[in-house]
Amino acid sequence: MKILRHNQIIRFIHWSTALSIFILLFSGFGQMPIYKRYFVDTLPGLSWSSNYWVTLNIHYYAAVVLIFSSIYYVTYMIMSKNREILPQKGDFKESLQIFASLVGLAEEPPSGKYLAEQRLAFSLTAFTTLVLILTGLIKVYKNIPGVNLSAEVVFWTAQIHNLFTVIMLLNIIAHLGAFLLRPNWPLVPSMFSGYINADYIKHRHQKWWQELTGNLYFADIDESPEGVVGSDLDTDTLAGENAAPEAAAANENEYPGNQQLDLGDENSIN
Amino acid sequence: MSMTRRSFLQRTALSGLTIGAAITGTKRAAQAADMSEPLTTVIDLNKCNGCPDLDTPRCVAACRNKNNERFPQPIKPIQDYWPQTKHEDWSEKQNLTNRLTPYNWTYVQHITVEHNGKKQNLHIPRRCMHCNSATCADLCPFGVIDQTAKGPVVINTGACFGGAKCRDVCPWHIPQRQAGVGIYLDIAPTYAGGGVMYKCDLCADLLEKGQEPACVSACPTGALMIGPRRKMEAYADKWRADNNGYIYGRDENGGTSTFYLSKVPFGKINEALLNQEIDEKPGRPAMPPGIDNPLHSTDGAVKSMLVAPFAGLAAAGISAYKIMTKGEKENENSEA
Repeated sequence: MKILRHNQIIRFIHWSTALSIFILLFSGFGQMPIYKRYFVDTLPGLSWSSNYWVTLNIHYYAAVVLIFSSIYYVTYMIMSKNREILPQKGDFKESLQIFASLVGLAEEPPSGKYLAEQRLAFSLTAFTTLVLILTGLIKVYKNIPGVNLSAEVVFWTAQIHNLFTVIMLLNIIAHLGAFLLRPNWPLVPSMFSGYINADYIKHRHQKWWQELTGNLYFADIDESPEGVVGSDLDTDTLAGENAAPEAAAANENEYPGNQQLDLGDENSIN
Repeated sequence: MSMTRRSFLQRTALSGLTIGAAITGTKRAAQAADMSEPLTTVIDLNKCNGCPDLDTPRCVAACRNKNNERFPQPIKPIQDYWPQTKHEDWSEKQNLTNRLTPYNWTYVQHITVEHNGKKQNLHIPRRCMHCNSATCADLCPFGVIDQTAKGPVVINTGACFGGAKCRDVCPWHIPQRQAGVGIYLDIAPTYAGGGVMYKCDLCADLLEKGQEPACVSACPTGALMIGPRRKMEAYADKWRADNNGYIYGRDENGGTSTFYLSKVPFGKINEALLNQEIDEKPGRPAMPPGIDNPLHSTDGAVKSMLVAPFAGLAAAGISAYKIMTKGEKENENSEA
């Protein structure tokens, strides 16, 4: 059985953000005089890489995509009340516990839709993106012929933009590095297909599973199969016709008491 | 000592005022006040004779003398720019005055051109044009080139990493690099950075004091002039109309603070420079007429950036609407 973890919108935003950031990094490093020095522009198909005017225009257009997808995401998150990714109190401690569990020093704590470390990584990356967009916009404004900003503003904007570029690069390395760890492998296909194995959720995202099954229990899905057999736009819903009994069973077996759950339904817009 | 300095200042100020008054016909007090506005220099090629009786033209000598203490003092041995097997070192050629180097921020080009059936020698003082929208300043990746309120474009040599991007994006490739000096030595000198970039700063310190740049003060023929931008524009325009002449630097690269006046079209001058003056190495600029500021090429992207947030909002609105209509159905379900 598979569960929809990332809907089409989230996947689109993720990949347009990823692609634009990758292009921004490459063209941004091209704003440093390094591609000529390090012979990058002698590689096949990359002769343009040492042309500052080409890389500047690429950087600008990739920034257009990043701004678009960032605004898209933030607005969507607000409107859809899809906030599981936002950091919560105690995430730092819980993250340490998760890291400890990876080397067998602790039990992994039960998690919601996202692990505490994923929530923290998200907020760091989001903040880094915000700083890069804001400083980038100042730089773009400064570059408009006729605009002249003070030496201090120009200097510090450049330093902050460069520093956060390095932070972004480290974020991305950590983000990709996480997939070297076996426990994280099942997450990878979910950003492509949207779906993730229910077993994985049961095992690692027990709180989320509880919410899903609780949700289903109350939703009485037998009467409304189209509500759960995930059309691609739905999230947090089960796919597969056998979902209901199994989910309900799991709910009863593993979570007696059936706590009052914050359903956090991404799909409801009020 | 103080007497000498005072008399120097007085003389400098006086020469500025005299030229200013000669150009504009204004009174001295007005001219002094005008020095607080953005300034523009005019280089009249009809007046420059290249100081034929001197080894080094006076403007070049005055510049070297004034800036001598700011010339680089590299730490040797100097590393190559790994993995390249070269570095730029002019420290053994500090005496060169026939090109722009880190030790020579202005020089005079000598060419022969034929115009209206007449061969003539031209002498062209060259240095940074101090563009109004300086591509070097805008594109410096470390933001260490400043365009001051009075017009000079100034490199902060203390923070310059020496990547020489400013030279690449300058239409005249003016800034020149000296390796073995600067902040890059403290970071990763083998792998990043290349020294410090040097160029004319139009004696920004003197301008701040209401004085003229050293080259202008030193010019014996009055070929170099400086004044408030609008007045110099009016002067150049009038000269062009009166003499059926040509101006270089007024529109090039989106406008600069240096206007060359010539009775020979700059297309011919550029051709002569390419044939007679330019060599393989940096520091000998040509004069391509009518070059556009490449930052204008980003206009479309800048406009797109303004639209992007609204497009993002719209996309989110559409997505939310789609889900809302679905969500309503779900809500109905859950109520059932």
